[in-house]
Parts: sequence; structure tokens; C-alpha cells
Amino acid sequence: MVAIQVNNLKKYYQIYKKEPGLTGSFKSFFNRKYEDIKAVDGISFNIEEGELIGFIGPNGAGKTTTLKCLTGLLYPTSGEVSVLGYEPFKRNYKFLRQISLVMGQKNQLWWDLPPMESFLLNKEIYGIPDGEFKKGLNDLVSLLDASEFLEVPVKKLSLGQRMKCELISSLIHKPKMLFLDEPTIGLDVVMQKNLRDFIKQYNKTNNATVILTSHYMIDVETLCKRVIIINHGKVLFDGKLANLVRRYADEKLISVILKKEIDVEKIGKIAEVKKYKYPELVLSVPSEKISVVTSKLLDILKIDDLNIEEQDVEGVIRKIFMGANK
Amino acid sequence: MLLEKFLWGPINDPLLLSITLGNSRFKLIMIFKKYLAIIKISLLSVMAYRLSFLMWRIRTIFTFLTIFYFWSSVIPQNNSLFGYSHSQMLTYVFGITIIGIFVFSSSTNSVGEEINDGNLSNFLLKPINYFSYWLTQDLGDKIVNLAFTIIELLILFLLLRPPIFLQKDLVTILLTVFAGLIAAITYFFINMLMGFIAFWNPEIWAPRFIFFVLLGFFAGQYFPLDILPKPVFEFFQLLPFAYLLYFPVKVYLGQLVFGQVVQGFAVGIGWSIVIFFIMIFVWKRGLRSYSAQGR
Repeated sequence: MVAIQVNNLKKYYQIYKKEPGLTGSFKSFFNRKYEDIKAVDGISFNIEEGELIGFIGPNGAGKTTTLKCLTGLLYPTSGEVSVLGYEPFKRNYKFLRQISLVMGQKNQLWWDLPPMESFLLNKEIYGIPDGEFKKGLNDLVSLLDASEFLEVPVKKLSLGQRMKCELISSLIHKPKMLFLDEPTIGLDVVMQKNLRDFIKQYNKTNNATVILTSHYMIDVETLCKRVIIINHGKVLFDGKLANLVRRYADEKLISVILKKEIDVEKIGKIAEVKKYKYPELVLSVPSEKISVVTSKLLDILKIDDLNIEEQDVEGVIRKIFMGANK
Repeated sequence: MLLEKFLWGPINDPLLLSITLGNSRFKLIMIFKKYLAIIKISLLSVMAYRLSFLMWRIRTIFTFLTIFYFWSSVIPQNNSLFGYSHSQMLTYVFGITIIGIFVFSSSTNSVGEEINDGNLSNFLLKPINYFSYWLTQDLGDKIVNLAFTIIELLILFLLLRPPIFLQKDLVTILLTVFAGLIAAITYFFINMLMGFIAFWNPEIWAPRFIFFVLLGFFAGQYFPLDILPKPVFEFFQLLPFAYLLYFPVKVYLGQLVFGQVVQGFAVGIGWSIVIFFIMIFVWKRGLRSYSAQGR
């Protein structure tokens, strides 16, 4: 079943520009210059129920704007959006009961009160029966190991603790559709891993559709089979992560541990030397020439160890972004 | 915490829930519980800032005392001015304070900030009506403030012993309550509208400040409106503001004839309907240009 359909979605913002300083302020007071920002500029994609998708893009690429359009916060400038068969912006209660948006950089809990109060409020807002609420809460609390700070005012919580509570409060109504905007931002590596495990489990046990944006490639690599890469409001790539690497990583790295020092210039004629610091030598080689170059190397060099490595996903994505910026 | 237990304890009682049979009734209780939960959390929030709450209370008392002493020295006992006797004027001041607290105590001041900093998104994502949400929160706010005001005024009353006029006619008292409710709702709509300015312009405090200065004047917070020259007074009566304070207090004082009461209610209710529709219209337009900032 298709959970999300997006067809040629556009969202333009109007922002005004101001020159720095007092004179700039005066000028802008009398003659304000507006400019259209094309935050999302004609993107289309479909997402199946139960998929876990990674949204990747540099800062300001339009990821968050897309999520906001999908959750009905923003009114699209043009294009069609259908989520679970609903038009998000109409804010049908049946639709809102099935979704949740978690933002790593933003707080949804009542700041001055313990998180438990926010959970109880959500219980009433979503109309969750007592028994279901208790069970759901217990499950989430034990999964996230959050029992210790449920009675502490939110403002006194650490970032990691707050994030756990954000998740509990966003998942207490068991949404079928979960939007996560940089959920791991600012968390330590252990917390990041816990969170990833949790998201994966939630996706599996509830057959929930999850869309995730993150700046940390490891989040996307471990969680998502499929990624959508956007930049400047346009989709650059939509497909399996493995295909992405195969398609864009046209070069591989050969790293060699040498037995003897060598003349680098000589090797340079065979392949591009990335790094040479005896005994380590790293070469960058086009994928199709890899076997030729390897056998040549084995012929002419005395070698202790040799390794052929795929380029890492992060490197590939950096390359895509740089290419798109040119 | 004790107040919380006292106020909301029984509602969460599973026994009470199980007594109510039938699906529709159950649904009604669900809705009721939803909004009760909002009142509760808003009360808890108010209490979380005890100092600022206390300051707000002190401010109210001082405003009251200023106006009280001003009028009590302007009109000596057994004298009258502008058609108001000493006791009538002081009753007006007491009335304005109580009605004013009921009508003006509102947390909707933060609607504009919520739009500006993007916190409005938290509500838009949930199956809840934004207006009912704020209306309920305001109810919580009004209950707390009104309770405190009545206690404070009771103390002040015992200390100052002013010659207050007590209305004994039940119909008049009911009419006063009704007028107060209309005033509160109208003011709620106006206040939401003021907040919605933030959809287009982030500078929400300047218009709000000017509005409040004018509001006190137009609504009769500092003096009864009918001491103004007749044409000015009649013009004021056409505006919605007179029905926020002046009119309910005048009803209480029993100084209006039947025709004036009917006319007052008609204009007051008319304004509240008009402002309601403006509010809905502006809200819908505003959401279209909402940018969920700060995220």
C-alpha cells in the first residue's frame, strides 16, 4: 500500500533582505525588498507502507520543509501531497491521530512541568484508554530506559533525556507514520545507537512508515535501505543505498602496506597516488581498471598486505553535493 | 499538588468512568477529559511561576487602589458628580476590577509568540482545535485569577469599608453574568486576532501595546463612559470595547432602562459574532502563510 504520494511539490517562501547596520534598518523600514526562496522546488516520490526512508541533504536543502508539508504544517505553493490518503494541510483528525513529527532541535514538551504531565495531556488529546496508555507508556519507558526522570521538570533534563521524553510523547498514540527530523542531533554516540535501535524496532513491530532526516551518515546507513537525496529543493537521487554507492563511486581505493621503500613517481604512472607514507601507500583507481592495476602492483612491489576498499557513503554523498553545487 | 488532587482527583476515578454507559456519552466524557486535561496543565504552568503570578496579583491590587482613591477623593461622601454618587462610583470601581479580571485574564497573549517561534506547530500536529484549546486554557486562567481577586477584594473591602452598592435583584445579577460572558468571549476573539498579526509581521508587541492603552480608555476602565459628552459617549457605544467592561458593570448597577439593556446586548452580541468570523477568516489565511519557523 502506498503511504505517501508526492507529486511535483513546491514550497516558496518570501523573505525580506536587510543590509547590515542602522542605515540598512532604515532603508528596509521604508522600502522592504522581498525575495522568493525556493525551499522545495518540484519534488516527487512515493513511499510504501512500512518503509524506513532516509532523507539526505545539506543544510537548507529543503528536507525539513518537505517534512512540514507532509505533516500539514505548511501550505504547499503548488503540487499534490497525499499521506495515508489524506491531504495533510486539511488537518483531518483521523490523519493527525496517525502521524507524529519529532524534531531533534525543537521541544514539544511543556517546559516547566515534568514530562509525565505532557504524556497525560497527550493521552487525553489522542483519547487513549487508560489500560492502553499504561501499557504503551511502560513499553516505551523500558525500551528507552527513561523511568528515572519522568517526574523532573523538562527544563532540568539533559538533551539525551529530553530526546527520550520527546519520543515517548510522540509515540504514545502509536502513529502509523513517523517523521523524524534529525533525531540524533547533539546526542552522544551511545545514545545515538540506542535511538537507532529503537527506531528500527518501532518500524518493525508496528509496521510503521518512518521518514528520517539526519546529518550523520551512520544513522542512514544502519537504518535505511532506501534514501532520497535532495539539494536546492530538488531530488538528486531516489533509490537503494547500495545502488547509490555503485552508481557514484566510480573509483576504488587500494591501500598497500609495503615491505620496502619505493619510488612514488614510478607508481604514479600506474595509478593516482592518494597518500604515501612508508610503509603505507594508498591509490585511487577507476573501478574497471582495478584488476589490472592490482596485478601490476603485485608484480613490481614487495607487499606485506593489500586491501581494496569501496568509497564510503559519506564520500559519495559529499561528491554528489559538490557536483550539484557547481 | 494538593489543589491538583482536590480539583481533578475524582475525574480520573475509573469508577466514575465505568458508571457512564453508552458510546455517545463515553465520547462526550472523552472530549470533556481532553479539555479538562488542558485546564489542569495550564493551572500547573501558572503555578510553576509563582513569583510572576504574585507580581501580576500585586499589579492588579495597585491598579485598583489607584482608581479607588482617585474617585473616592474626587467625589466626597454624600455628594455626586456626573450623575454618580460616592457609593455608586466606588461600586463601579469594584465592579470594573472584578469584571476586568474575568474578562481580561487570558493566556492568549502568547499566541503571537507561538506563531513567531514556531511552537504553533505542536498544536497543528495534534487532533485538537486550537480555539477550544485556548478557550479552555483561558477558563483555567480566569478561574485562578478570579478566585484570587475575590479573596483580595474581600480583604480590601473589610479594610476600607467602602459604601458598596449590593445588587439584590436576581435577574439583574444573572444579566450581569451573561454580559460578562459575552465580554470574555469577545475579548478572547480580539486577543486571538491580535496574536494572528504574527503570521505576517513578527513585531507583535507594538500593536498590542497601543491596543491595550486604547482598550482601557474605550472600555471604561478608568472612568464610567457616560460621564463623557453625549456624542462621544454614543460613538463609544457603537464600538465593541464598551461591552467588555462598561456595559456589564452598568447592568449590575441597575442604572439602565429596559431598552438600553436590550440594545446593549444586541450590539455586544453582534460584535462578538462579527469578530468571530473575522478571526476564523484571518486564521485560515494566516495558516497559509505560516512558515513553522525556528525549526
